[in-house]
Amino acid sequence: MRRAHPAAPRRALETVAWYIILCLVAAVTVFPFVWVVFTSFKGPNDAVFSVPPQLIPRNPTLANYVRVWDQLPIGRFFANSILVAGGTVVLNLVFTSLAAYPLAKMRFPGREVIFYLLLATFIVPPQLTSIPGFVLAVNVFHYYDNILALIFPSLASVFNIFLLRQAFRTVPDDLLDAGRIDGASELRIWWDILLPSVRPALATVAIITFVNQWNDFYWPSLMLHTRGRMTLQVGLVALQGMFASDTRGIAAGVVMTVVPILVLFVVLQRQFVRGLTGAVKG
Amino acid sequence: MTKRFSLTPYLFLGPALLGVAVFVLYPIAAVIYYSFTDYSIITPPVWIGLKNFQTLVHDAIFWQALWHSLVYLLVTPILIFLCILLAIVVDRRLPGIYAFRALYYIPVISGSIAVGIAWRLMLDTNGLLNGILLSLELIREPIQWLAEPAYTLPIAMLLTIWLGLGYYMMIFLAGLQNIPEELYDAAVIDGCNGWQKHWYVSLPGLRPQVTFVAVISSLAALQVFNEIYILTGGLGGILNSGVTIVFYLWRQAFRLQHAGYASAVALVLLVITLAFSIVNIRLLERGAEAGT
Repeated sequence: MRRAHPAAPRRALETVAWYIILCLVAAVTVFPFVWVVFTSFKGPNDAVFSVPPQLIPRNPTLANYVRVWDQLPIGRFFANSILVAGGTVVLNLVFTSLAAYPLAKMRFPGREVIFYLLLATFIVPPQLTSIPGFVLAVNVFHYYDNILALIFPSLASVFNIFLLRQAFRTVPDDLLDAGRIDGASELRIWWDILLPSVRPALATVAIITFVNQWNDFYWPSLMLHTRGRMTLQVGLVALQGMFASDTRGIAAGVVMTVVPILVLFVVLQRQFVRGLTGAVKG
Repeated sequence: MTKRFSLTPYLFLGPALLGVAVFVLYPIAAVIYYSFTDYSIITPPVWIGLKNFQTLVHDAIFWQALWHSLVYLLVTPILIFLCILLAIVVDRRLPGIYAFRALYYIPVISGSIAVGIAWRLMLDTNGLLNGILLSLELIREPIQWLAEPAYTLPIAMLLTIWLGLGYYMMIFLAGLQNIPEELYDAAVIDGCNGWQKHWYVSLPGLRPQVTFVAVISSLAALQVFNEIYILTGGLGGILNSGVTIVFYLWRQAFRLQHAGYASAVALVLLVITLAFSIVNIRLLERGAEAGT
């Protein structure tokens, strides 16, 4: 006990130092958001640009939000984004977990070939596939300027297949064999045994897919042209063009776009972190 | 189970494989074909042999774009360095540490478009950054951050790094937490101080994560688009200062309707990506073998 004594103030000092470092980094990562939020509440009498800069609005107002809401179908953007992200999640949960089952648990001719083929598609840049993808959308599938164009091509992400394959491999074979002895079909085994055993991995797939689709811009910007059919990201860029030098209005648009996904993050924080880091296991 | 040929695995794989075939494999074949044609998407492709590639070799902007993409790869080592450091910082038991980790993660969740627009507003000539620098009297005249060609690429890279910090930090953090505590204890007994401990134990232990981050972040760097698009307003910057290979591909295909030419660019991108991924994985694997 006596020996620990002189160390105690040093400990405390060290802890304070760590907190200072942590706060400095947090300032770097969060500051742009803080500034955007304050700017979005600024009225015409609160300067956006001044020397020295003014951060906090003296007369906070919701006028910017009202203006943005009136001039752009933000509600539709929301609805479209939710449909796209939600639809893609559902399709991926079904199709990637179906595909992952044989890759994880069955032996069949061509398994290695299929596995490496899928692996190889990882490095194909989406911008490369977007050229023929555009042609397909216009000439074959006729979903140009329709949110189906964002859901349909991403129905089975290879990343998700690998993630679920990893998860399925941890399910003991005995469990599956027991099901087979009971006469269950492979589809039943998949639904009744495999899927319930990997719930966290399914949650991960859902979260990663949702966030990726929610934030995707390149392909949606190629596909969506009519205002009412845009997703939030495409709509936000349209807003930026429309509001040009109206910094307060653009800031309000940014806040409206970011807040829902941040709320989701706060609610599901544990799953987020486990999901995104669980994807790399050496 | 009896060992007879069964259709079952193929049926399970069917829908996903069909999706991959239609949306990845077919497009690769189509891009190879388009690259030998003059194609504007509106009119049917016309075979022109190697002409696109001949044009490409003499296209100064293409070479500039290629160079910019290679420069952009610098974000990978910077991200690895910063994120390992950051992971070590947040890998300790302090009250509120989870909140800090979450705060660092916010840019990742927010997406490059919203964040890019926020940056664009702050970097405007009449923006916050100039306001701060002017009031500190570090500069006399506002700097045209977004109009000065020399700044375009560095600012975009900075944005990419800023967007990725939280994500890669979390990956390294998970890696650190998988390293057995005994290894650190042994290092302390061997006389390692705080940072030496990380040099001799953490870094070797993080090798799988370094490989993963190197591959993922360099693929992302080669494919960067959103940051450039937002910061340059879709124009690629003054004097093409922000044009990367992917941005050039996009402009040729979807702004200028040169889909054939863009396909040739896309093939170059594919070859570079392939070569780079192989080299990346080989190098890091060799490093791992040497380290054990």
